[in-house]
Formats: sequence, C-alpha cells, structure tokens
Amino acid sequence: MKIRKVLVTAANPRQRTLPLQTLIDQRGEPKTALQIILEEASGAGVEEFGVVICPGDEAAYAGACGNLRSQVRFIVQETARGYGHAVLCGRPFVGDESFLHLVGDHLHVSHAPATCARQLLEVATTEDSPVSAVQPTRESQLTSFGAVGGRLVGGARPLYQVEAVLEKPTPTAAEQQLIVPGLRAGFYLCFFGMHVLGPEIFSLLEEHQRAAPDGPLGLSPALHTLAARRRYLAFTVAGRRFDIGAPYGLLFAQLALSLAGRDRDRVLTQLVELLALRHE
Amino acid sequence: MKTRQRPSPAPARTTGSPPIAARLLDLIESDDPTIRDRAIDRWCEGRSLTELLAATGELDAFRRRETNLYRRVRALFFIAAIHRYHLPARPDLTRTGRVPYAGFRHLLERRFEEAIAEFLQAQRSDGASDTLSSALAAAHHALAFQTLADQVRQTVRSTHGNAWMFRLGHPLDQPLRVRRELLGPIENGPGAPRPLLRERTPVRMDLTHCGWSDIFFLGMDYPEGARVLNVSIDLGVHGRDPAPRPPVEAFFRVLDEPVIRLASVDLEASACLTTIDEVFDFGRDYLGLLKAAVIAAGLVPPGIERSGASLAELLATIFGPGRGFELVSSVNRIPKGSRLAVSTNLLGALIAVCMRATSQTGALAGPLTEPERRIVAARAILGEWLGGSGGGWQDSGGLWPGIKLIEGAAATPGDPEFGTSRGRLLPRHTLLGRDRIGPDARARLHESLVLVHGGMAQNVGPILEMVTEKYLLRTEPEWSARARAGATLDDILHKLAQGDVAGLGGALTANFFGPLQTIIPWVSNRYTEEIIGRVQAAFGPDFWGFWMLGGMSGGGMGFIFAPHRRTEGQQQLQAIMLAAKRELQDALPFAMDPVVYDFAINEAGSVAALLEGPAALLPPGYYQHTVPVLLRREARELSGRERTDLQQFTRAARVEEAFGTALPALLDRMLPSDEATERASRHLGDLLAENGFDRSQHEQIRSDLRAGRIGLAMNRLPPSTRIEDVDSRDLFAAAPDQPGAGVHRAAGATALERGEVGVISYAAGVGSRWTQGAGVVKGLHPFAKLAGRHRSFIDVHLAKSRQTARLFGSPVPHVFTTSYLTHGPIERHLRLSQPDAWERSVWLSPGRSIGLRLVPTLRDLHFAWEETAEQKLDEQKEKLRDSVRAALADWARASGEAADYTDNTPGQCLHPVGHWFEIPNLLKNGTLARLLAARPQLRTLLVHNIDTLGVTLDPSLVGWFQSSGATLGWEVIPRRLEDRGGGLARVDGRLRIVEGLALPRDEDEFALTYYSTNSCWVDIDGLLGLFGLGRPELADANRTAAAVRRMAARVPTYVTLKEVKKRWGHGQEDVYPVSQFEKLWGDMTALAECPQAFAVVSRARGQQLKDQAQLDGWARDGSAAYINSLCDW
Repeated sequence: MKIRKVLVTAANPRQRTLPLQTLIDQRGEPKTALQIILEEASGAGVEEFGVVICPGDEAAYAGACGNLRSQVRFIVQETARGYGHAVLCGRPFVGDESFLHLVGDHLHVSHAPATCARQLLEVATTEDSPVSAVQPTRESQLTSFGAVGGRLVGGARPLYQVEAVLEKPTPTAAEQQLIVPGLRAGFYLCFFGMHVLGPEIFSLLEEHQRAAPDGPLGLSPALHTLAARRRYLAFTVAGRRFDIGAPYGLLFAQLALSLAGRDRDRVLTQLVELLALRHE
Repeated sequence: MKTRQRPSPAPARTTGSPPIAARLLDLIESDDPTIRDRAIDRWCEGRSLTELLAATGELDAFRRRETNLYRRVRALFFIAAIHRYHLPARPDLTRTGRVPYAGFRHLLERRFEEAIAEFLQAQRSDGASDTLSSALAAAHHALAFQTLADQVRQTVRSTHGNAWMFRLGHPLDQPLRVRRELLGPIENGPGAPRPLLRERTPVRMDLTHCGWSDIFFLGMDYPEGARVLNVSIDLGVHGRDPAPRPPVEAFFRVLDEPVIRLASVDLEASACLTTIDEVFDFGRDYLGLLKAAVIAAGLVPPGIERSGASLAELLATIFGPGRGFELVSSVNRIPKGSRLAVSTNLLGALIAVCMRATSQTGALAGPLTEPERRIVAARAILGEWLGGSGGGWQDSGGLWPGIKLIEGAAATPGDPEFGTSRGRLLPRHTLLGRDRIGPDARARLHESLVLVHGGMAQNVGPILEMVTEKYLLRTEPEWSARARAGATLDDILHKLAQGDVAGLGGALTANFFGPLQTIIPWVSNRYTEEIIGRVQAAFGPDFWGFWMLGGMSGGGMGFIFAPHRRTEGQQQLQAIMLAAKRELQDALPFAMDPVVYDFAINEAGSVAALLEGPAALLPPGYYQHTVPVLLRREARELSGRERTDLQQFTRAARVEEAFGTALPALLDRMLPSDEATERASRHLGDLLAENGFDRSQHEQIRSDLRAGRIGLAMNRLPPSTRIEDVDSRDLFAAAPDQPGAGVHRAAGATALERGEVGVISYAAGVGSRWTQGAGVVKGLHPFAKLAGRHRSFIDVHLAKSRQTARLFGSPVPHVFTTSYLTHGPIERHLRLSQPDAWERSVWLSPGRSIGLRLVPTLRDLHFAWEETAEQKLDEQKEKLRDSVRAALADWARASGEAADYTDNTPGQCLHPVGHWFEIPNLLKNGTLARLLAARPQLRTLLVHNIDTLGVTLDPSLVGWFQSSGATLGWEVIPRRLEDRGGGLARVDGRLRIVEGLALPRDEDEFALTYYSTNSCWVDIDGLLGLFGLGRPELADANRTAAAVRRMAARVPTYVTLKEVKKRWGHGQEDVYPVSQFEKLWGDMTALAECPQAFAVVSRARGQQLKDQAQLDGWARDGSAAYINSLCDW
C-alpha cells in the first residue's frame, strides 16, 4: 500500500478561520495551522494534498499553505452537510486509492522520532488495512470526539481490531459498547484526527447518504459499517493531538509545539516567570 | 448450674430412614440438581446435637474458603437454619446461656463476621446453648442478606452504563450536555416559556404472580426459574377519571437560574436545591425519588457526592452558565401501595426524561429504543438502591409496551456478573406482539378484569426476605410450590393466547390459594378472603377468579368476572370492599378507603413529547400548588419564569377545562379554612374528658420534661446499682420431670375444677411495633390461619380458656383489659362472636387512665438516637435515616419541645399509660368486684400480654403458685438474642423484674439469663391486702381509688418515645416519634412487703409475638402447631 494523497477537511462553517491561525512550529518558525498540518503529511511522504473548504475560502487558504501551495488542490463543499459529506467531496481528488485523512482543526505532536502521520502510515502499509489513529481519552471528553471499541490485535504495537465506532458517545453508550480491554477505567480510544482509509469509504458514505438523504452525513457511522465489513484497525500513536477548536485549544497546541521544539527552554522560562507572578 | 427445659415443639426425629445425603456439602456443591435442590431440613432429620454442631463447623469452614457467592450464601443460610430450627429442637441442647455484649454490639454495627467470631468463641468456652444459637442464627442470617445485598449493589454499580457515574468527581468532568431543543428558539425572547419535555409512562401489572421470582437474588441465582408475564397498563380511578391514561408523568425544563427545582404534584411538595449535598439528602423532604432520578440519570452523578463541588458549576457544564433545571413528577393521584410498581415506573420516567434532555438517548421525543429502555431500567435499579428502596426486576416493565415475557438471563463472559452469579442483574424482555396474543384475547382480558386497591398498606419487605431464605434453603413444600408456580406461567400464557379468560381466572385463583400461600402464608389475610368470599357469593359462577398483584394481598388486587357482569362487578366490589373495610378497620391496617380502577393495556410504553409555546404546560396540580404562592407576592418581585408560569396558567385556564376547574381549588388554598382544624381539636378535647385525662398531672410531666427532671436518660437506675444475674435455684422450673411436679399438677387441677382461677389478658394496646404505629387493635388482628381460619390474638386466648374449661369441667372467667382505643372494637367483636359467653365468662375491664402525647424534647431524641444501642443500617439507609432524623429534630424544635402532640387524628394523639394500671383498673372500675360476686371461689388470676400466645392455666403452675404463698408469681424464660427489654435480675440483692429502659447500662441486660414474659400470677386476696383493701372494700369506689393512687406514687414513671403514623394524601404515611409516659407492672417486684415467686417456663409458653416478621419462623419452628394444640376451636 502506497499512500500518496492526503485529504484535509477544513469546511466547518463555524471554524473556517481556525486553520488560518498562526503558530510557531517546533523549529521556531511562524506558520499557519494549515501549513503545519500539510507539513505533517508531507513529512510522511505524501505528495498530493487535497483540502475541503467552504465556498469563498480558497484565497485565504491558498495564502496559508506556505511552500506546499503548488501541490495543494482545494475542494469546495458547496453546502454544509456534515463531516462525512466533506470527506465524500474529496472522492474525485482521491480517486481509487488509499489516502491519508487529516482534520483541519487538529495539530499533532509526536513523542517518537517519527511524526504521528508517519507512524500511522507505516502501520497501514504493514497491515495493508484501513487504520485510524486513536488516543486514550478520558470519558469526560467523550462528547468532543468519535470513539472506537475493539480488541487488541496483539504483537508489539498498540493495535486494535475495531468493532464499533460511535460519534461523540455519552459515557453510558461508551461503557456499553466501547470498552477496550487493557485501557484504564474511564478511558476510551478516541479519534486522533488522522486516518488511513481505502476508497471503499466513499461507497459507504454514499450508502449512508442514500439511507438518510436529508440529514447531516457523519463519518463515524460509515466507519462503523466499515468495521463490520472488513478488517479495520485502530492504532495508538505515540503522540498527542490538540483540538485547536476547543476552548484554549490553540494555546495548548502552541505550548505543546514549543515545549517539544527548539524554543522549549525559552517558553518554559517564560512560563515559570508567569507562574511566579503573584496577582494580589 | 444450667437449666434444662422441656423440648421445643419442633419435631426431632431420632430414628427412621438413614440420612438422604451423607455429605452435607453435596447439598451445596453437587452438580446434580436432585441433590443440590434438597432441603437442609431433610438432612438434619435424625441427626444428633453433636452431628448438627459438627455440621455448622463444616459449613462455616466451607463458606470461608468458598469463592462462589451463592454457595457461600447458602452455607450461611444453612448455618442460620440449623441454629434457629434444628439445634433448639434437640432436647439435650442447654437452654440457658449468655450472649456476649461485644458480639451484640458488632451485630448492631453490622459487623457480622466479628459478631460471629465473638459468639463462636463463647460457644467454645461456655458450650452450645439455645441462647447462643439464637445469636448465631441472627448473625448468619444477617450476614447472608448483607452478602447478597452487597453483591446486587456491586453489580448495579459495575453494570456497563452505570459505572462512569461513580468515577465522576468534578464538575469539569461532567460529559453530559443539554439538548439544544430544550433551550428554545432564541427568537422567542426572554418572556417566552421554555420548551417542556414530558415523559408519559404506563404502570405494570404482573399477570402470573411469579412466586416472587423477580427478586434480584432469585433471578441472579436461578435465572431459568425467574419468569413473569408483565403487562403495561393505563389507569384511572373508576368514577373519578374520565378514561384510563398513562398514570405516570415526568416533566423536564431548563431554568435560567443555577438551581435544581423538584416538584411532586401528588405529594404537593417542592424544593429548590442549591448545593450538591442537598441533592443527596433523601430524607429531608418527600422528593427522594426525584433526587434519586437526578443522580441515577447522571446529571448529578453519585461520584460527586461530598466532593465539595459547586452545584452551579456542575449545572453550568451541562446547561450553560447561570442555568439549571426543573423536574416535576405526577402519578395522577394513584394511591400508594397499588402493587402496580407506580414508584419504580415513576423513577423510570424521571430518569428517562433526564436522559433524553441530556442527549443520552437517540431521540428527544417518541418511544425509547430497546437498548435505551434497558439502560433506563438499570438506572432505575440504581436509583432505588440510592433511595434506600427496592423493587423487583420486572417493576420497570411500564417502560416497555404491551404484554411481554420477562425472564432471567444467564450471565455470559463479559457480563460483570459472570463468575459471580449464574444470572444477570437485568432480565430479558420479549415483547409478545399481536401474533402471540391476538387483539381478541387482549379485548377479552379487558372485558373481564377489574383492578382494585383494597386500601391496606403493608410492608412487603419481610415477605421478600422470607421468600429469599426459603428459596435458598430449598425447604420442601415451598420448593415444590415454586415449581408449580413456574409451571402456572406456561398455563397462563397458553390460556391468555387462547383468549380463555375464565381458565386464566381459575389458574390465578389456584396460584393464590395454592403455591403462593404455600411459599408464604402471610400473603393472604382475613380482609382479602372475606372479599373473595363475598364476591363469590354474589356472582357465583360469573366470578372467574382472584389475582394477587405484587408482593401481598390487601392492596392492589384483580377480580375476573364474566364479561356481561364486569360493570356490575366494578360497582359491587366498591361496596363489598368498603363494607369489609369498615368491619375490619380496627383489626387490620388500612391506609385509605378502597378504590376500583379502570384500566387499558398500553401498547406504546414510555413515550416523550416536546411541548412548546402555549402547550408547554405542567399538570394543573402543579399550578394549584405554586400559583397561590406567586399571587401572594408583588408582581414586580416575580422572576421571568414565575411571570411566564402565571401567564401560561391563566391562558390555559381560559381554554382548557382541566385548568379551568383547578381555579376554585386554587382559590380555596389561598384562603385556608380553619373549620376542619377546629373540629379535630374539639373531638380530641371530648376524648380526653371522657377518658379521665388528668390535666394537672400532664402539666407536671411537661414541666418535668422541659426541666430535664424526667426523660429517657432519667429512666435508668443509678449507676451505683448492683445488677446481678439470678441463679436457677432461685426459680421454680416448670417442667414435668422436676421433683414435686405431680403434686403441683394435682393441686392445680383441683383448683381449676373448683373454678378458683381466672385469666386477665392485656388488650389495651394498638400494636405500635406490630403494625409500625398504624393504630389497629392488636388483640383483634387476625394474624395467622389456625384450624383453617384467620384467628386473632383474642380468638386464640378464648379458645385456650375453652379448652381449659372443657378439660377441668369448670368455666374459666376471662377478662380483657381495654383502653379508649380498643374498648369499643373489642366489645363489638366479643358481643358478636361470643354472645353466650359475654359477661358470663368473658368480661371487659375498661381503662381509666389516659395520657396526651407530647412533642419529644431534643434531649430525648438525641438520647434515643445516640446513647441507646440501635441497629445500624446499610450505608444508603443509614444516610436516609440521618437525614430523616435531622428533619425530625427540626420538627420538634419548630413545634415546641414537650408541647402537646395534636397534629394527627385524635386517636393517635392519646396514649395508654402503661400496663401497671391494668390490674388497679380492675379494682377501680368494679370489674374485679363483679367477677368476685359472680365467682366467689376465685382465688388466683393469671395476667398476661395479648401476644403471649402459649400461656395457659397449666395445672402445674397453678399448683405451684397457690402453694408458694406469694402474692405475685412471675414467669420468665431463658433469654434469646431477640428478647430485649430487661429481665429478671438481683438488684442490690433483691430479686426483681427490671425493665430494659431502667437498667443503668445497655450491657447489663446481657448478663441476665432470664427474660420476663410479663405473665404474672396474682393472689387476689394478697393483692388486695397489699393495696390495703379487702374483698368488701372493693365496693367503695373512693377507697379503692385512693388505694390505687397511693400505690401508683410508689412505682416509677418512665418516659418513652413511641412512633406514630400520620396518614395523608393518597395512602401516604409519615412516622413521628412522640413522648409519652408509662408505669409498668414488673416494678411491683420492687415492693419489699409483697411476697413474690418466680418460675422459669418453656419458650413455647412464654414467647411473645411482637413483630409480624416473626410469624414465619413461629410457624416453621412448630410454635403455631403447638398453639393450635392448646385451643378448642
């Protein structure tokens, strides 16, 4: 399996400026969030970049792509009909091959020498299977993410065979359907905003769209169907994701990037000074 | 020296066929059900004392090493049964012993293992005894139930879908979010009503009565035997409601204030909670069920209790800053005790509406999906545990639609129960659609069935414990009855599917009179059987059957008629029940007048709707309760929500009849009438005047109470008092093998033949403990079936006197002492049932003393709660009790300490003043004079409590007492653990009966070997002499009154706390502690000039029935059969 393309969804009408925010990356260079996301993919060997955007956002996004601008193709989602629909809009770009999928409001910091995307791609290639990156997440944050249930495949890597996928489950539903042996109590495998998917996902999305043509189309129900039909894996990446759309999300993402990069000491010093300040 | 008594009446076979299973543990461990389901009783038959003691040791070792919960519990029940029933039946078991006080304290504190260790240590050092066996039986029994209850609780907590709520400890961790639809469209503006989410839920009826197989313990151990046919129904009160409807409703709306508002329309109660602690405070108001729902739905999850977190912060996470919610319940005035699981289904509805509101279900409105119903049911179990109540696993059946088969489900790998119990906590529901039970069959059931509430309020808890114990012991008649009850289900299902409602009625009746009463005889009562008999007489073959709903009869019941007479049946049943209630209301506890229901099968289950705009209306009863408060305030002070509520109600009152008709009642509420209060207070005044109430003595008691001169703490003898146990040589042992027994028996027989002996039965009491303060005449309570009929205590005592009269050829004069509460009902009963004997051999001695109860002092309340040893409850119940107590202390403070207690029916405000007065009353009211005029040969009286059923005019005891030369002769029995309240002691060297409340220290009682039965022999002339009177002076009322007053002054006055019930609403009851005073006859033993004698008698003769929970053991250990053998029916 060779992954050449990445599909980034950034068409959430309520968060259309998020990927345009500027942060300082691990090397200490100012970059937009979008650029950091595209470079994550690029670093993993991806050659073609597709970004799904809202109508009218192309110019702004083009300016936020940095050096990769020439390799990026923008795909406009004409009407906001859900996350799954945004992915489905990428079908002409992706064509009939497996692809890396990233979301435009998540940044990733690796805890290993390889980037998060590279770790995932290696697994997908080795296992020759669709695989979603996941991160054990406390149940109090369940309502922000898609989550998977399954069982450990075994072997050296934290790899799971997915049996169920629920979008933003309640803890009740998670406890009933998403218990994963080996995880700490109250933790679930939630999506990392990073997947390697085969082209069959588009057929599944279409199936779900046909079943409920008027409702918003999610990705999780299609992934749930995927799990029922073929081997679909989840992989705990050595790294962390940061949802820059959450309250203080951008701040935490910036801190994580800085503390994992060249300016670690400088930022840490500033933080300590801030902590030492006493406000009467 | 240890005293050996005559054997207990339970049979102990010493010869016969060899034991059925050589290895005791096979009964628990065997894979072969024919061995595993054998009864421990069979195994014990023919075993010697040594073998039985060895068996308890073997079982004890087994239960300590065994990991399987149910095997452990069975071993515990086996040990308890051997100690309770089999060892006491062995004649060579030592009768007397001592219960170590440390072990008793452990028992009270629910440290059962430690208690058992203490008792076993005592058994090793002092030898086995009846006394220690009673303690070991109680401790093992309690440990078995604690183990089972802990397991159910643990399973409830660990059930998938519930566990997360126990981990959540901080508001920021709260993952639930409100559904946006409940915030309402922004464009509606601030004055628009918030959308209202309404859940409507039917109640459930159990069509088969499942032999209580829906008790969690049973379903989890024996899932294949746990099967019920459960029907969701709409309900209406016949003649009151226009049509049946889902009776249970729950409403949810978002508020613009950071609080939780709770309101119960039926209880007319509401509360505004501002802290998390208040949410977990179940006892402070009537809203415990709503609080349990808020917790079990995860809105205020159980894990956050006592975290110190802010409720506003928690609510902000779910609803947004500054917001909260309101939860309102309504059960359409369906009375409590309907046996239709109203409260569990209400809890389910409340949980469901809360879960829907916080995105925990797929759909906001409409029916629930099967997985959602299951999680709501699991949460309802959790809620019941939190609220300290408990139902069966089928009770939340109203969440499901129509008719369904509910069955226990085997635990499989992955279930939290797997490896612990054979079955899962939650059963499996199979909906029986119209293909299984056709529309025609459903219609036929509806055309024939009449549902009623008989009006009785009873506690089903003890019955559920009995069922569990019998199931685990596999006692033979009950076990085969259970198998029959199980088979009935298939028969009923078949008949229902065929539309054979007549056959169904027959099967249900057979189930009630057959298996159910075999398993638990106490499910029936005289009232129920009276109604069945009268309906049978009125309808003949058109009465097709009787059906007991829920745990016991007398409350919710079903009657099945031929369809053409069903309407007539509804009308007649109302009259029949009312007439029977009127006849029996002095004898049985009724909470309300009987009602007849209309019902319809509900085919939808629990359904929600989002009510918006003008339709966002709460039930009319809600506004009746809240609007008067709003109207009393200035308009400018009203919040936006309150203003909107007023507008909504006003609009609805103009256009909707139900709201329009609520207006007059609402106005009445604003101007409450004093008429009823005045009437009640006049009635109480009349009663006091009629019954010789002594106002000056009352004021003295009040002032002494307030000043602390008398009170619970002052009841006790000074700490310096020397309390010692009594040697058996000081007592006469009433046993046939004792020296001189023949002589006494012959002399006693002669006295009986001459008519020298009479009986006095105390019948002034209203069974405070027997019916938990329900205020019925205990003597008239038809407590058990003897010789085929329900018999009352009075019936039994008269039947014994008849037997004595027949045996000795001389009538026995029998007097019942009465009080203002019991005189009228007992007189009516005796005139009707004993027309020939009335005032010939049966007399009444009316009470001449009365007290008015007082609001307790805080000092006494705290003393009772903190200083006296009391049973600790499990964690949740303990919390509930603490919170109830805080509320009661507030009540006492607000009502005024030692103020007159008048806020109840007059009968509940008065109190009898102790049994000391009973005998002097015989002197004062002329009864003794009349008795002696009719029977001048009368020399001796036997005086006893109404609940001492085994006491008789035994010629040996008559002979002993008459020859003793004593004025008073007292009967005591070797103590068992349950015999609390003093005993026979040597007090500063003198032998006397000491009340428990007078002993200087709680532990003193445990050093006393003998317990007082309160049965007392009286030498008439000796007693008169003691009072300074002779037979002729009895005619002089003034002289006798003065003599009684003089003697009364020498006897101590005790202050006691009693619990009284206050009934209100639709079958609701509250229990209040009240202060009263009493003087006790046992204190006559303190009089130095009075010659006394003491005899130790058998338990069968001396035991008293104080609590209805004793009845089952009483029947099983042979006591009932023994009592029956004493009677001439």
